[in-house]
Amino acid sequence: MESQDRIMDGDLQTLGLQSVLKMLALSGKTGTLFVHSGPETLSICMRKGQIVALHEEGFNKSDLLGMLCLINKLDPPRAQVVREASQGNLQVALAILVERNWMSAEEMQRRLEFAVTQSISHALRWVNGRFAFHRQLVTMESRMQPLDIDSVLLEALRQADEWEEMEETQLTRTTVARWLPEVSNDVRSLGLSQEHIEVLCLANGEVPLQGMAMVLMIPEARVARIMNRLLDLRLIEVVDTALEAELQQDLSNIIIMCQHTLAQQRQNLAPEQHLLGLIKTLSRCINGLLIHHGTYAKSLRGRGQLPVVEIVRYLERRFSQPLQSIAKLHYPILETATFTNGQLDCTEIVQLDKLVKGEKLEEFYWEAVLGLATFLRIVFATLLSDEVGNSHTGRQLNYVWKAFLTEIDQEIQQYQLYRAHQNAQQTRRRDSEAAFQSGPGRSGVSQSEGNPYRSSETQRRSI
Amino acid sequence: MIEPVPTVLVVDDSPTVRKIVQMTLQRERIRVITAGDGLSALTSVADEVPALILLDIQLPRMDGYHICQIIRKNLQFRTIPIIMLSGKDGLFDKMRGRLAGSTEYLTKPFDSVELVQTVKKHLVGWQQRMPPQHEGIRTRLRRRG
Repeated sequence: MESQDRIMDGDLQTLGLQSVLKMLALSGKTGTLFVHSGPETLSICMRKGQIVALHEEGFNKSDLLGMLCLINKLDPPRAQVVREASQGNLQVALAILVERNWMSAEEMQRRLEFAVTQSISHALRWVNGRFAFHRQLVTMESRMQPLDIDSVLLEALRQADEWEEMEETQLTRTTVARWLPEVSNDVRSLGLSQEHIEVLCLANGEVPLQGMAMVLMIPEARVARIMNRLLDLRLIEVVDTALEAELQQDLSNIIIMCQHTLAQQRQNLAPEQHLLGLIKTLSRCINGLLIHHGTYAKSLRGRGQLPVVEIVRYLERRFSQPLQSIAKLHYPILETATFTNGQLDCTEIVQLDKLVKGEKLEEFYWEAVLGLATFLRIVFATLLSDEVGNSHTGRQLNYVWKAFLTEIDQEIQQYQLYRAHQNAQQTRRRDSEAAFQSGPGRSGVSQSEGNPYRSSETQRRSI
Repeated sequence: MIEPVPTVLVVDDSPTVRKIVQMTLQRERIRVITAGDGLSALTSVADEVPALILLDIQLPRMDGYHICQIIRKNLQFRTIPIIMLSGKDGLFDKMRGRLAGSTEYLTKPFDSVELVQTVKKHLVGWQQRMPPQHEGIRTRLRRRG
């Protein structure tokens, strides 16, 4: 925009937004007022001293159509139709809803008015920043009827005061909350109001506080109050999106590393080496996850630099019991695996080849593979539920994890097929040997009786 | 207005790699389509005309070098950046990839931050590289109704 069009500019500390707007309204100005504070910018279009459009930049806007679906005000297929036709333009989306009789024209006007009031109310709380008024009217699509500045300001100031009156809170308009996965009580018994229930419905780990206010047409400060109450009731938790992104990145790197190791060990053709490779891959993966959990476990994070001993103690307390029960109930070989400095030490299993050879070694390795695969699943499920719960990130990671488990299962199945083939061959060989040695009179003897090559344990494990 | 998002085609025989790359790039508001083998990859290229291809070397039915050569020989798709993904770190493989026409080479196991940076670097100006005639078959069919 040309600088000669700028007819007024200044600092918000010198002249507050409220005074600027009042001045422009009184003088019946036409043009655009830009207000900046940090990364946020507000553009208010005015015609003859009235607000005709408003545009906000600097934060991610919520999907109003999706949110209307969440509170049962719109069907998902209809929302999809509108989304495609409007291409993300809120004004157009609302106009289509009205055109198709899915929303009344009054509701559209109310929603647009509410959005303007919310944005101005938010900007009224900016302490630092600058403003500039330009003569030119920036083209902004708007279906809104012009708004009187006095009434908008009155409501915006009232809402801004509500925020100020709130006691110390960590909630901001960008705060995202989600349901706590542990909630098992019937929420109806808690006596929540309709507004509380609606906020609870929208707390899906994706919708920010500002978006909730927008769709429910409840002032942001009141939504913050409701969220505080739901937090006290332990129905929701606040999501730290930056932390979840970091956490997802770290887990992705661990899974990629493990998948790579798994793919590399496929080159081992000898069954013993193949199984040993799987043991090493699985234990590496478990240890990678343990290191990760030592950083991101809910009870450890956000406490600054913790002593290593405390992290080790936490990890061992959390995972040694499941390991012991797996060992006791199903895979005794895991009794030789121990926790050392918060890491699973499988040295004894890996070095078994120094003690046993041949089929027995293969059997031990096989048991270790199955045991470690079970333990790996437990470790991942435990850490995911603790760190991100049933959130969007959690579901995404679970999806990736299942793909990785499928690859591990394929490796396990491959070995099972190999064993089945080996056993079938051995049986055939023994049958022919028995028939040859005993002659026609002994052909009825059971094949497994007195078999020197197949222990009962092997028979149990083979397919 | 929602800005048009670029589409990235991920070709890898490992479902884990496909899903991880998909999850990582979707977080960056990049649309991701995937293929598990060489032939499906070529079909996807023709159908969707991606803005970038992440291509594994060892693939069933047709290897990554071969796919890369086919794409580079096609007038319509030759400008699409191709990033080779491979577990092989040798100079020979990198050279072979370059000769086949790859734009860049990422070694597995890759870091997800590095992956995003590389993809974003090659997505700069993707809209200019996609003239209107570069519409995929599916888009053209949709347009015809």
